[in-house]
Amino acid sequence: MSEAPLIEFRDVAKVYGEGEARVAALDGVSFTIDTGEFVAIMGPSGSGKSTTMNILGCLDTPSSGEYLFAGIPTTTLERAQLTLLRRHMLGFVFQGFNLLARTSAVENVELPLVYRGMEAAERRQRALAALARVGLSGRADHTPSQLSGGQQQRVAIARAIVTDPAVLLADEPTGNLDTRTSAEIMELVTALNREQGITVIMVTHEPDIAAHARRTIRFVDGRIESDEERAEPAHAL
Amino acid sequence: MLYEAFKLALKAIRRNKLRSFLTVLGIVIGVAAVIAMVTVGNGTTAKVTSEISKLGSNLLFARPGQFGPGRASTTAKSFNARDVTAIEDQVTGLRAVAPLTQSSQTVIFGGESRTSSITGTNAAYLTALDWDIASGRGFLDSDERGGRAVCIIGQTVRSKLFGSTDPLGQSIRVGKISCEVIGTLARKGQSGMGSDQDDVVLMPLRTFQRRIAGNTDVAVVVVSARDGVSTSKVQSDLERLLRERRGIIAGKEDDFTVNDMTQMLETVTGTTTLLTGLLGAVAAVSLLVGGIGIMNIMLVSVTERTREIGIRLAIGALEGQVLTQFLVEATVLSLFGGLAGILLGLGLAFATVTALGVPFVVSPAIIILAFAFSAAIGMIFGYFPARRAAHLDPIEALRHE
Repeated sequence: MSEAPLIEFRDVAKVYGEGEARVAALDGVSFTIDTGEFVAIMGPSGSGKSTTMNILGCLDTPSSGEYLFAGIPTTTLERAQLTLLRRHMLGFVFQGFNLLARTSAVENVELPLVYRGMEAAERRQRALAALARVGLSGRADHTPSQLSGGQQQRVAIARAIVTDPAVLLADEPTGNLDTRTSAEIMELVTALNREQGITVIMVTHEPDIAAHARRTIRFVDGRIESDEERAEPAHAL
Repeated sequence: MLYEAFKLALKAIRRNKLRSFLTVLGIVIGVAAVIAMVTVGNGTTAKVTSEISKLGSNLLFARPGQFGPGRASTTAKSFNARDVTAIEDQVTGLRAVAPLTQSSQTVIFGGESRTSSITGTNAAYLTALDWDIASGRGFLDSDERGGRAVCIIGQTVRSKLFGSTDPLGQSIRVGKISCEVIGTLARKGQSGMGSDQDDVVLMPLRTFQRRIAGNTDVAVVVVSARDGVSTSKVQSDLERLLRERRGIIAGKEDDFTVNDMTQMLETVTGTTTLLTGLLGAVAAVSLLVGGIGIMNIMLVSVTERTREIGIRLAIGALEGQVLTQFLVEATVLSLFGGLAGILLGLGLAFATVTALGVPFVVSPAIIILAFAFSAAIGMIFGYFPARRAAHLDPIEALRHE
């Protein structure tokens, strides 16, 4: 297992529909991502980057090929086992934040821990620590509607990291934010990658956001067009 | 986890108070109906049973005609005074034989009047029913033979007509005749059926027949067996004698009925059971409709919260955990309905039994049953929506607006 990369796609294909309506969203994609990497996935819409993200997040399964997580072939896992993998190893940040409405920030952050069956006091303590990590200590009792977009995304990041995941999957994390807030969020994500060693995989279509990553995988028509390392990733403003 | 699901359920229910209330209304009504019905039924049965055990189990009642489900012959001829004499002479082991014939009449004294039950009978009636004379005297042989216009009045009649005046020796008007009050009866209270047993005027059978009824009919013969004498033997002797006297040939059915108290009790409880069964069926329909209401609202809730479910599934909720959450929500909702129904039902029952003057007998079994039943309804009708929520595709659910 020490030899295996954290994430490996082996000739992964994803096909939707049948016959005439058959669409290949992914057409034999292979890549590996090691622990501690910060990877941006780019490409025009319909290029397969969202499908890749869904498969990476164990929300979807490949039609053919193999997705290995820490050397484990995920196609051999049952739906419940995939959920457990997601629960323990992955953190999600979405474009639309996806916080529970009318639920306080700290309760939103606690949610993944609730499903782990963690005791209430310990849960609260860890959630508050995660909120502090994203700079929202004073906002624990605010509901999403009382928070700005940037603050909501920080709550979502706190929720993603509260479980100490191996991988943070971010799907257009700055898509709904203005330039300045986007830069602040990227600064936070970069810091989590550098300081906590969390592997970050981020889908984006904005080059200046992708510039924060050390590696960029570009998709076109369900295939990888390019896979480049950047010597010196951009720093936040 | 179950505790968390319970907290979430309370939160979701509180968020939609009015909707939750309307959803469970069917359950509330169904449960309340069952509880009220059973509680009132229990009270009535308890009252009737205690009454009958007070009367003693050695009483037999002979009535013309056949009674029971599906047969009520009205053509059977009545008994008469000679039948009563024949029973007295020919059936052994008897303590008392009393004819009974009744009608409602206006009773007037001074400026007061009321409509009471007038009973034509004999002195043995009071013996059979263990009914004491409170003041004055009972009927004498001469009263009965001569058909004298004398009467014994119940406590209700006494207090309503005479107030604090002594009624003994006074003349009251009963229907078209005037008769002298010779005694008052001890207080008896309400009967098991809710009627006032003290609202009576007793007079000799012959007086009643001649002056009030205008015929020689006897509606019921009350027979009291001596202690230690088997009532079933008395019953069969009585039946044989009556068949003979009424000229019923072998193989033909009786045109009269002889019941003992247990059989009377069975008739009463039989009616109650039938009624309870019918209302129970209505309640079951109400609960079914209530359950469908819960299912409907839970389906709406699942659709409304599709995105929330998607988030939960994405961040690591197992299908079973989502299923549990919605199942618990439906069950809690339904249990609230059940609880409200139990309280409402007990309230209604209490009001009813107070009005009827029967005891308030709460059956813990039925309350536990109602509680369990409402929980079961929540689980059964909540299962389908909960399963739908648990089986949502997280990708689709997250895209849902």
